[in-house]
Amino acid sequence: MAKEIEPAPLFRTWKAWYILVVLWLCGMVVFFYWLTKYFQ
Amino acid sequence: MNLLDWLVLLCTLAGIIIFGLYKSRTTRNLEGYFLSNRSMPWWIVLLSIMGTQASAITFLSAPGQAFADGMRFVQYYFGLPLAMVVICITFVPLFNRLKVFTAYEFLEKRFDTKTRLLTSFLFLLQRGLSTGISIYAPSLILSSLFGWEILYTNMVMGGLLIVYTVSGGARAVAYTQQLQFLIIFAAMFLAGYMVVHLMPPDIGFVDALHISGKLGKFNVITTGVEDGKFNWDDRYNIWSGVIGGFFLSLSYFGTDQSQVGRYLTAQNNRESRLGLLLNGIVKIPMQFFILLIGVLIFAFYQFNGAPISFNSGLVDDVRASGFAQKAGQVERQYASINLQKQAAASQFAAAVTKGRQDSVAQLTQKLRALNDSSAAFREQYKAIGKQASRRDTNDTNYVFLSFVKQHLPGGLRGLLIAIIFLASWGSIAAALNSLAASTVCDFHQRFATKNTPEQEYKISKWYTFGWGVFCVLVAEFANQLGQSLIEAVNVLGSLFYGVILGIFLLAFYLKKVSGTAAFWSAVIVELFVVILFFNERLEPFSFLPDVSFLWLNAIGALGVVLVGLLLQTFTRGTSSAQP
Repeated sequence: MAKEIEPAPLFRTWKAWYILVVLWLCGMVVFFYWLTKYFQ
Repeated sequence: MNLLDWLVLLCTLAGIIIFGLYKSRTTRNLEGYFLSNRSMPWWIVLLSIMGTQASAITFLSAPGQAFADGMRFVQYYFGLPLAMVVICITFVPLFNRLKVFTAYEFLEKRFDTKTRLLTSFLFLLQRGLSTGISIYAPSLILSSLFGWEILYTNMVMGGLLIVYTVSGGARAVAYTQQLQFLIIFAAMFLAGYMVVHLMPPDIGFVDALHISGKLGKFNVITTGVEDGKFNWDDRYNIWSGVIGGFFLSLSYFGTDQSQVGRYLTAQNNRESRLGLLLNGIVKIPMQFFILLIGVLIFAFYQFNGAPISFNSGLVDDVRASGFAQKAGQVERQYASINLQKQAAASQFAAAVTKGRQDSVAQLTQKLRALNDSSAAFREQYKAIGKQASRRDTNDTNYVFLSFVKQHLPGGLRGLLIAIIFLASWGSIAAALNSLAASTVCDFHQRFATKNTPEQEYKISKWYTFGWGVFCVLVAEFANQLGQSLIEAVNVLGSLFYGVILGIFLLAFYLKKVSGTAAFWSAVIVELFVVILFFNERLEPFSFLPDVSFLWLNAIGALGVVLVGLLLQTFTRGTSSAQP
C-alpha cells in the first residue's frame, strides 16, 4: 500500500474518517427505524 | 407542454452544452483528455461520482418505486458507505501510486496482458450496451407521455452531450456534472415542495407522511423476516442491502472505469478519498429524499384521483383499440373507487388532526381496502393493455413524470423534463469518456503503431465520438426489441460485474494466484454465469436452478476466486507480476 503522505482533513488520521462514515450509517439506520415505527 | 416549458427546457439544455464547451480547454494529450491532468479538487470528484451514478432512470424510477413499494428501496444503498471505506483503503492508493489511466491497467502490472484485455473487454461490452439502454429507457418514457418521436428523443438524450464530451474530455464531463447536479437537486426540491403545496389546504407534510405510513409506504427499514423465517426472495431488506449492496458498490466503484475514471481525475489520494467518503455520507440521504417524493405523490393521489395507468400512451392505445368498451367498464369502476378514497382520505386527515384514535384505526382499514380494490382494477387494466398495445404495461417508471405533466405549473414542468435529460447526460458523458479511455489505453496503444501525444489526443476524440454514435444506435435498436428492456440495464451489469470484481479480488488479496489462473477462471465463471442466467432457454442446462439476477454478482465474484484458487493449485503456476 502507498505510504500515506497527504494528511487527513479535520481529523489526525484517515481511520477517524472511516469510523465516522460507519457511525453515520449506523445512525441513519437507527433514525430510519424510528421513522418506520413512528409513521406505521 | 406550453411555450414557457419549451423555453425553459431548451435554454437549460443549451446552457449546459455551452458551459461544457467553455470548460473544454485541456492539454492535448491523454493525461489531459482522460484524467484532466489529475487536477480536480474533492468537491468536483464528489459531484462527478454522484452525477455518474445517478442516471435519468434514478430520478424516474425511484419515486415510482416508492409509490408502488414504499421507502424500503433505500436499504439497497446501505452497503455503499462500507464499500467506500474499503475502496479508499485498498483501491485508491494503489491506482494513484501506479499512475494508471484505467483500472484494468493495474491488472497487467499484477497479472498479465491477457487478463487486462479480457477484463477491459468485459467492461466495454457491458458498459457499451447498458449505456445504449440508459439512453433508450428515459426516451421511451418521455415519448410515451408527451407523444414525441422516439427516434429524435434518443438523439437528444444520447447525442447532444457528445459535443462537449468529445471536445473537452474528462474536464468538461466533471464541470458539467457539477452544474447538472445542482440544477437537478434544485428542481427536485421544488417538485417535492409542489406535491405538498398541491394537497388540500388542511393537509401538511407530516399529515401526508401519516397517510402514506398507515398505508404501508413508510417502510424504510424491513428485516425480510416473514412468519419467523427469513425470505430469500425478498429483494430489499436491511440484510440484502448491507451485504448485497456492499458487493455491488465495491464492484461498481472499484472496478467500473466509468467511476474509477472520475476519482483518478483527483489531485491526489486525499482528494480522491474525500470525494468517495463524502459520497458514502450523502448518498443515502439523497436517495431517501428522492424516494420521499414518491411517497408524497402517493399521499397526493389519495386526495386526487390517480390515473388508471400512469403511461398515458397505453391509455390512448387501449381507448383506440377493440378493447375500449371492456376497458371503459374497468375505468368507471376505478373512478368510483377513487371518489370513495378521496372522501376517506379527507376524513382520515381530520381524525389525525383531532387526535381521534378510534376513527384513525377505522379509516386506516377502510383506506387499505379501497387501495387494494383500486390496485385490483389497475391489474385488470394492465391485462387489457397487454392485449391492446405493445407499450409497457408496468407504469412504475411513469409515475413521477405523469404527475409532473398533469399537475405542475408551466415552466417548472419544462425544468423537470430538462433534469431528466441532464441526469442522463451526466452519466452517459462519463460512460463515453471511460469507454474511450479503455479502448485507447487498453487496446489501441497496444495494437496500433506508436503515436505522438497530440495524435493520441485526436484519436481519443474520435473514439469518444464513435462510442457516442454506437450507444445511440443501440438505443435505436433497443426500440425494435421491445419495451420491457428498461430493466435490462440492471441485468446486464449483474452478468459481468461479479466476474470483474472477482478478478480484482484475486489481484488484491491472493498474491499467489498467477495471471493464467485468473484469466481462465474468469472465462469459465463468465460462461457459467451466462448459462445460469439463460438456463431456461438452453435445454442441456435446464437442470440448473433459477437464480434472481442480483445473486449473479456474488456468484461471479466468489466463483472467480474459488476457481482461480483451484486452477492455481492444479497448475502450480507462479505469479510473476508485482502489485
